[in-house]
Amino acid sequence: MDLAGLTRDLEALRDEVVSAVAGTQEVSALAALEVDVLGKKGRLGVVLRGIGGLPTDDRPRVGAVANAVRVAVEEVFQARGVELRAKELEARFRAETVDVTTPGRPIRRGSLHPIVETAGRIAEIFSQFGFVVHEGPEVEDDLTNFQMLNIPPDHPARDLWDTLYVDIDGKLLRTHTSPGQIRVMHASTPPIRALLPGRCFRYEAIDASHASEFFQVEGLMIDEGTTLGDLRGLLDQFAQAMFGQGKRTRFRPGYYPFTEPSVAFDVECVVCGGSGCPACSRSGWMTILGAGMVHPVVLQYGGLDPERYQGFAFGMGVERIANLRHSVGDLRLYMENDLRFLEQFR
Amino acid sequence: MRVPLSWLREYVDIQLTPEQLAERLTLLGMEVKGVERWGAEWRNVVVGELLTVEPHPRADRLHLTTVSIGSGEPLQIVCGAHNIAPGQRVPVALPGAVLPGDRRIERTEKMGIASAGMLCSGDELRITSDGEGILILPADMPLGAALVDLLGDVVLDVDVKPNRGDALSMLGLAREVAAVTGAPVRWPEIDVIESGRPVGERLTVTVRDPDLCARFVGRWVSGVRIAPSPDQVQMRLLAAGMRPVSNVVDASNYVMLEMGKPIHTFDAAAIHDGRIVVRRAVAGERIETLDHVERHLADDTLLIADPRGPLAIAGIMGGAGSEIGDATTEVIVESAVFDPISIRRTGQRYALRSEASLRFEKGQELRLARIGADRTAQLVAAWAGGAVAPGRVDTNPEEPREARVAFRPSRVNRLLGTALSTAEQRDLLRLVGVATEEAVPASTTIVIAAGTRPLSVPAGTTETLLAVVPTWRRDILIEADIAEEVARVRGYELVPAMLPRTPTPAWRPDPLELRDAVRATLAGAGLTEVVTLALVSPRHGEVFGWSSADIAARGETAAEGSPITVTNPLSSEHAILRQGLVGSLADVVSANLRHGLQDMAIFEIGKGYGRSGEQAIEWWRAGLALTGAGDPAAWNRPARPVDLDDAKGLAEMLCRSLGLEPSWTALADEGVLHPGRAARLAGRDALGALCLAGRVGELHPRLLEAWELRTDRLVVAELSVAGLSGGALPGVRSTPPPRFQASERDLAIVVAREIPAAVVEAAIRSAGGELLRTVTLFDIYQGAPLSAGERSLAYRLVYSAGDRTPTEQEVEAAVAAVTASIAAVVGGRIRS
Ligand SMILES: [Zn+2]
Repeated sequence: MDLAGLTRDLEALRDEVVSAVAGTQEVSALAALEVDVLGKKGRLGVVLRGIGGLPTDDRPRVGAVANAVRVAVEEVFQARGVELRAKELEARFRAETVDVTTPGRPIRRGSLHPIVETAGRIAEIFSQFGFVVHEGPEVEDDLTNFQMLNIPPDHPARDLWDTLYVDIDGKLLRTHTSPGQIRVMHASTPPIRALLPGRCFRYEAIDASHASEFFQVEGLMIDEGTTLGDLRGLLDQFAQAMFGQGKRTRFRPGYYPFTEPSVAFDVECVVCGGSGCPACSRSGWMTILGAGMVHPVVLQYGGLDPERYQGFAFGMGVERIANLRHSVGDLRLYMENDLRFLEQFR
Repeated sequence: MRVPLSWLREYVDIQLTPEQLAERLTLLGMEVKGVERWGAEWRNVVVGELLTVEPHPRADRLHLTTVSIGSGEPLQIVCGAHNIAPGQRVPVALPGAVLPGDRRIERTEKMGIASAGMLCSGDELRITSDGEGILILPADMPLGAALVDLLGDVVLDVDVKPNRGDALSMLGLAREVAAVTGAPVRWPEIDVIESGRPVGERLTVTVRDPDLCARFVGRWVSGVRIAPSPDQVQMRLLAAGMRPVSNVVDASNYVMLEMGKPIHTFDAAAIHDGRIVVRRAVAGERIETLDHVERHLADDTLLIADPRGPLAIAGIMGGAGSEIGDATTEVIVESAVFDPISIRRTGQRYALRSEASLRFEKGQELRLARIGADRTAQLVAAWAGGAVAPGRVDTNPEEPREARVAFRPSRVNRLLGTALSTAEQRDLLRLVGVATEEAVPASTTIVIAAGTRPLSVPAGTTETLLAVVPTWRRDILIEADIAEEVARVRGYELVPAMLPRTPTPAWRPDPLELRDAVRATLAGAGLTEVVTLALVSPRHGEVFGWSSADIAARGETAAEGSPITVTNPLSSEHAILRQGLVGSLADVVSANLRHGLQDMAIFEIGKGYGRSGEQAIEWWRAGLALTGAGDPAAWNRPARPVDLDDAKGLAEMLCRSLGLEPSWTALADEGVLHPGRAARLAGRDALGALCLAGRVGELHPRLLEAWELRTDRLVVAELSVAGLSGGALPGVRSTPPPRFQASERDLAIVVAREIPAAVVEAAIRSAGGELLRTVTLFDIYQGAPLSAGERSLAYRLVYSAGDRTPTEQEVEAAVAAVTASIAAVVGGRIRS
C-alpha cells in the first residue's frame, strides 16, 4: 500500500462514516457503529495497520492524515450522539406526557376527634402554667361525687346535677369531674396544680345543647396564698390562649356548693364579638366555665387545713369550648360520629 | 324566676333601662337569662271609649257599639260581651291588628252590620284569664294610646341560684337591686283591719311533728265572695308565669311571688271543728289532691289534717276536699314553715314539685310566716271582701334575731387577693343589709366551715368583725361567705387579675402521653377518631361481648366482671355501661353506611366497665374498625377491598411505633369474630414483657346480619396497650447502623398447611444463631409439585455481625442449624 492509496482509503472511510453516522437514528445504532469504526478491532484500526507497510519517511504524513480523520470521525459521532440523545429524550417525554390535571393517587387521611383534641388543647395551655393531668374513675362514689363536695343528700343544689345511678350500692356515674378534686388532694400535697379531664354523665334528655354523656376539664390549684385574683388572672390567660389575644372576659358571681366565693366566667361572644346575637342570647357574652375558691368543707374532706391552705377550682365543658372553637351549634354532632363531620378535623 | 319590672318597681325605684338592670343583676350573681317585652304582641291595639252600646238589630247575643279612639270618626264595632256600658274605656283592636297567637283582626261584617275592629277581652290579649267579658281599663287611660305603652311590661327571667331562696320573690330581688343602686326597698304596708270573732275561738292548730313544721301561723277571713282578682293582679300573675284562679287563691300566689312565702288557703267549711293537726301520715291513709289524683300516703309524709283525715300534703299540694271554690265564704290562711329536706323528699316521692315546694325546699325564715299570713289576710279581704278575724293562731311566735358571723378583714383580702380596708368592707356589706360590729378577737371564734365538716378557730389577735346577717340570708354562715358578699357587692370585675406567685409543683408524668401517641399513629395511618357513648343497650352487650378470655397488657386492668347497669336509665338503649369498643364502632359504621358512606377506617380510645362484687372496674382499650376499600379507588385504579391484613398491618405498625415486636396466634372460640379470621396479637418489648395484647379479626357474618350492617366485611380490633390508662411513652434505644456487609439467604420451607407461619418463623428464630438479624416471609406457595397438604413458605434471612462481615462458612453453618431445626420442630423440609 502506498501513501496515496492509504490516504485515499482513510478519506474514503471518513466520508463513509460521516454519511453512515448522519444516517443513524438511534443511540444504540450509533454506539454500535462507533465500536465498528473506532473500537479496538474497528475499521479505522484496520486501515491504520497498513501504516506499518509504508516507508518510514511517509509515516508521519499518513499519521497526520489518520489523526485528522480520527478527530473528524470522533467529532461526528459526538455531535450525532448529542443530537440523537436529545431526540430520544424528546420522544420519551412525548411518550410519557400525562395529563397533570388529573387528581393524584388518593391516600387515606385520618382525623382526630374535636372533643379529644380540645380537651388536649386545654391541658396543653394549663400545662404552661405548671398544671399536671390527673384522672379519676367514671363510676364514682356518691360520697366523692357529692357529699365530700359539700352536697349532702337532699341538698337543694342536687337539682343542678341530674344523676344516673348504677346497681352498685353507693355508686353513680360521675356528674362532673369535680370529685377529682378530692382524689387529687388525697394523692398529693400542696402546692397543687392539677387538671382533670374526663367523661361525665347526667340524666338529661339529649338535644342541641344537652347531652347525657359529655366531657369536662376540672382544674385545681391549692397553696397557702392562692387567691381569687390568681384565678381571674389565670382564666384571662386561658381565654387569650384558647380564643385569641385581646378577647374581653367577664368575671361574675356564680354558685356551686363546693366553692366559696363562686364564679362564672364569660368571654366576649366569638360569633358577634360582643355586640349581641342569637348565639349569645343578645348579651354579647358566652359563659365558658364555672369556678371559685375551694370551699373549706371540701378542703377538709381532701385532708387539708382550710385555715392554712386555700385555692381555686374551675370546671369547663369541653363541648362548649369546642363549639366556640369550631363554630359548632349542636352538641349531638360530637357523639353522632358522622364521618363527614369528623373528617373536617384533620 | 319571671320578674315583671312594673311589679318590681313597686318595691324599689329603678332608673336603669331593662338591659342595664339585667347586666347589673347578672354581675351581682342574679343572672338574667332573658329580657322579654310583655305585650309586644299587641300591635294596633289602642284605648277606646264606648260611646253607645245598643242591641244588635239582627242578633240577640250581640251588641252594636260606637267607640271613640280620640281622633277621627267614632268606630262602629260589633261585640258579643255583656259586661260593657257607655263611658267605659276598653282595648280596641283596629283593623290590621295582630293579637297573641297570631290572630289577625280585619274589618268584618257581622249579621249584616260592618264592624271596624274588635273589643278585646283580657284573655284575647293574654293579660288576664277572663275570656268572657271585655277588659275594662282604668278611666284615666288616654284615648287612642297604644295599649302596649300602658300595660306593656318588661319581664326579666332571673336564674336565682339554689342557695338564694330569699331572692325568689319581688322583694328579694328588690333588695338585690337596692344593693346595686343604693335605692331603698319599700315594703308593702301591711295593715289588717280585723273584726268579728277572734280566730282563736274558731281555729286550733296542733303541730304533732315540730321537727317537720317549725311554725304554723293561721288566719281566718269570714264572708268572702269568690270572684276573679282585679285585672292588675291577674296581669302581674300572668306576666310572672302563674295562671290566675280566683281572688282568694290569687292572693296566696301573689304573696308567694311578692315576698317568697308560700301560703295555702282552705275552705274553712271543709275543716272539721276548726281543728287543724300537722302530723305525719299513718300507713294506709289516702288523699285526693287538687289535681284530682288519689294518692296513697307514705308514712313519712307530713300532712295538714283535721280530726277526720288529711286535708293537704304539707307544702306540696292541697286536697280537693278543702279547696277554695265558688261557694267558699270562710277562708283559713295557712302560713307555715316546713322542713326543707322533708318537702324535697315528699315532692320527689309524689313527683309533685311546685313554685311553693321549690321555695320550701330552699328553707324559709320563721319571721315570714307571720308577715305572709297578715299580708294574705289583707289581700283576701281587699279583693274578696269579708272580715279578717282578730288575731293569729301561731304555733311558734318566737322569731330568732339575726345571726352573727365573725370574719377577719385580713382573711377576706387573703381569699380575694385584694387590699380592702376594714371600712370599705363594712360599707360594702351594708349595701346588702349586713351590718357589722366590732368584736374582741381574743374572745371570738371564727367559723371557717359549717355543714358536715364544721371547723372553728380562735381569732387570736387578728382584727375581727361580727357581721349581723339579716334573717332572710340563710346562706351566709362562714367567713368565706362574707368574702363572697364583699366581692359580689363591690363587683367581681374589680378583683385584680394576677398570675399565681406561689411555688410550682413538682413534675409529674402526663397520663395522656401514650394515648396521644397511639391516636397520632392511627390518625397518621388514615383512621378517623370517633368518640362514642359509654352507655349502650343490654342487647349490645350480649351481641358484642367477647367469648374468648381477655388478656391485658402489662400494667393495664383486665376486662372482667358483669356489666354495670344504670338503675334509672334515660332509655333502654342506654342502660348498661359497655364492656368493649367493638359494638360502639359497629354502630358508627352502621350509621355512616346509612348516610351512604362505604369506605371507613375508624378508631376510638375509650373505656370498658365491669363490676366485680361491689367493685366497679374500668379499663382502657383502643378499638378500630375497617370496612369497604382498603385502598380507595381512583380514576386509574380499582379499589382494593379491606381485609384482615389491613388491620394486622395497622396493629403491627402500632406495635413498632411503641418499640414492640408483634406476633400472632390463631384465636379460637371467639364468637364475635369470623372463626377462620380471628387472631390474637401479642406485642412484646425487648425484655419479652407483653405490652400490647388484643384481638384482631373479621366480624362474624352472623353479627353483620344481626346488627343490620350493610357491608360485606367489617374488620375490627380491640387492643390493650401498656400505658393507655395513663402511662408514658417508652423511650427509644438506638443502635448504630451496621458498618459491615450483611449476608442474605432465601429459604423455601415446605411444611404441612395447618402449621401457622408464626410457628415456622419461631422455629427459624430459635435456631437462628446470634448472627441472624431479620426473618421476612416473602412468599407462600401451594400447589404442584407440592402435595395437597403442604405449602411452601419462603423466608429471607439476613445475617450480620457488628464488627465484621460474616464469613461464608459462618452463614452456611447458621442456615444448616435452621434447616435442622425446621425438620425437627415443624417437620418441614427445605425446597431447593
Ligand atoms: Zn353574640
